[in-house]
Amino acid sequence: MGPMSKLSKHYRDLSRLGDRLAEMEAEIQECRQVNLRLAELCDVMMELLLPAADRDDEAVEAILARYRADVNEPLRWRSGD
Amino acid sequence: MDGTEPGGAGADAHALSSVVVSDEGLTLRGEGDFPIDVMFDDRRIFSFWLQRDTVARGADIVHPWPPVLRRFLDGTTELALVDHVSGDPLHVETVRLGSGEGRITVADAQGNPMGLDKSLRLSRLFTSRSAEHLEPLLDAIGTVLTALEEAGVKPFLAYGTLLGAVRDGTFIGHDSDADLAYVSAHQHPVDAVMESFRLHRRLLAMGYEVVRHSGLAFKVIVRESDGSLRGLDVFGGLMREGTLYLMGEVGHPFSEEWLEPRSEVTLAGRVFPAPHAPEHLLEAMYGPGWRVPDPAYKFETPEAVRRRLTGWFRGTRVGLDARWERLQRTGGHVPDREPSTLVRWMLEREPDVRTAVDVGCGSGRDVLWLARRGVDAWGLDYFPRDFRAADKRAAKKGLSATFEWMNLDELRSVLVMGATLSRKPGPRIVLARHVLEATDTLGRDNLLRLAKMVTRGSGRLYLQMRSSDPESRRAGLPPLALARFRAQVESLGGTVLEEQGLDEHEQPVAGAADATPFSRWVVTWDR
Repeated sequence: MGPMSKLSKHYRDLSRLGDRLAEMEAEIQECRQVNLRLAELCDVMMELLLPAADRDDEAVEAILARYRADVNEPLRWRSGD
Repeated sequence: MDGTEPGGAGADAHALSSVVVSDEGLTLRGEGDFPIDVMFDDRRIFSFWLQRDTVARGADIVHPWPPVLRRFLDGTTELALVDHVSGDPLHVETVRLGSGEGRITVADAQGNPMGLDKSLRLSRLFTSRSAEHLEPLLDAIGTVLTALEEAGVKPFLAYGTLLGAVRDGTFIGHDSDADLAYVSAHQHPVDAVMESFRLHRRLLAMGYEVVRHSGLAFKVIVRESDGSLRGLDVFGGLMREGTLYLMGEVGHPFSEEWLEPRSEVTLAGRVFPAPHAPEHLLEAMYGPGWRVPDPAYKFETPEAVRRRLTGWFRGTRVGLDARWERLQRTGGHVPDREPSTLVRWMLEREPDVRTAVDVGCGSGRDVLWLARRGVDAWGLDYFPRDFRAADKRAAKKGLSATFEWMNLDELRSVLVMGATLSRKPGPRIVLARHVLEATDTLGRDNLLRLAKMVTRGSGRLYLQMRSSDPESRRAGLPPLALARFRAQVESLGGTVLEEQGLDEHEQPVAGAADATPFSRWVVTWDR
C-alpha cells in the first residue's frame, strides 16, 4: 500500500468516526429511554395488576377507574373551562 | 458562561450613545453586554442583553419588539431604558407607537399589568402583584412543601424562587412562577421515577390537580384568592456518582453535604426550607455569576446533561405543541358535524360491532355518530378541550359515548385504557384516523399495543393515514413511511388484512384542508 492510499484509508476511517459517534449516541439514548418505560411497567404491575388479581368484577372495574384517574390529565375538563 | 462576570458588576458606568425608538423596535449604539430593563411609564415591561439579544445592522444594534408585545404598542408612553444592575436610567423619551391616541397599557383583560418574564412569555409578574395576592401563593408553597415532606421527600425552594429568597429575601420581580425541588434518596432513574409517581398520587389524594411534565417533574395547580390558577413546578433530582441531576436544567458536580441537613431561607417574610448550602445549588443553576441580577437570563444546559435528562425522563409530551399550533391555525375550529368517511366505511364492514374506540377522537364527531347507532363508543384524546362539547352533548342526550384523556406516549395511560376496554362487550373495534402521523415511533407502538389488547380475538383495527409522498408535506403533518410502519405492525404480531390507497377528498384533519392521497389499513391480531 503506497503512502497516498494509506493516507486516504486513514482519512476514510477518520470521517467514519463521526457517523459511528452519532450512532453510538443514538444507541445510548435508546438505552436511557428504557428507564421511564420500566418505571411505568413497575407502576402498572404494583398499582393495577396486583390489586386486580383475585378480585371480583366490580372491584376490578373500580381499580381500573382509580388508576385511570391517577394517570389522567387532571385539569378537570368536565367541570368547565 | 465564558468566565466574565455577567452584568459587568464593578465595571465602568454603562451608556448608550444613540437610541432610536420606532414601530419596529429599538435601534441602539453602545459598548459592552449588560441587561437593560425596558420601562413604560415607570413600569418594567421586559429586559434584554445589549449584545446577546440584539442583531447588528451596520454600526447599530437592533432589538425588535417582542412579538407578544406588539398588539399593545399603539399609543404614547414614557419609555425608559434602565441599567438593570445599577438602576441608572440610560435613556428616557416620550414616544408614540402605532396610530393610537391614548397611553400604551400592557395588561390582561381584567386590567392587571403584565410584563414579559425571562422566557418572553407574557405574564402577570410578581412586581404587579400586591402583597395580599402573594399570600395565597406563599400559602400554596407551604402546603405543597408539607405535602411533599409527608410523602417522604425533602423538598426545598429552587431555581428563581430560591435565587430571589437568597439574594433579596423575596420573589424576583421579573419572574412569574414558583419552583420547588427535591433530590431523591434513590440513585437509579427508575426508582426516582417511581417515587415521583407516588408523590403525584399523594398530591391527587390531597385534592390537588397535578400536570405531569416528565417522569421526574410535575406541576401542582393552585387556585389563588383572586381566582387565578397558578402552577408550582416540582422538579425531582437525583445524586449519581458525585453529580447532581435536577430536572429542568442541572447536571453538575455536587456534594451531598450541600443538600442536607437543609437550611432555611426567608421568602417575602415566610421561612422555607433550602438546601444546606444554597449557594452551591444556585451556582449549579445559574453559573458563578448568580449573585448579579439578570432578568433576561437564558439557561444554557450543557448538551450532554440535556441528552441525559431527556433520555432518562422525557418524551411524554410529544406533539402537544404541534396540536396547539394546528388549533391556532384553524382559529379554534374543529370539524364536528359530519362523520368521517372512515367511520362509515368501518360500520359497513362491521355491522355487529358492540364496542368502538376512536383513538385521537378530536371533536368526537365519529364517537357521537356511532353512539347514535347503538354502539358503545369511546373517544380517546389527550386534548380534552376538543371533545368537551361532544361529551356534554352525549350526557345530555343519554348516548353511550364515553370520552377519556389518553396519552399515547405514556405507557401507563395506554395499558390502563387497554385493560379497561378489553373487558367491554365484543366485537371490539379500534379506529385511528390520522393519529399515526401526529405521534412518534413510541406513540405508534403504543397505539398498536392498545389495539392489540382491545381487538385480539374480538375485532379489528381501522387505520387511516397519509402515506409518504411529496403532497403530504404541505398538509401540516409529517408523512408516514408505510414500509417502516408495516414492519412495526408485524413486529407486534399484527396482520394487515386489507389495504386501500385512496384519492378521495375529504377534510381529514383540522387545519389541513387539502386533497392529499391517503391510505386505509385494516389490521388484525389472532395471537
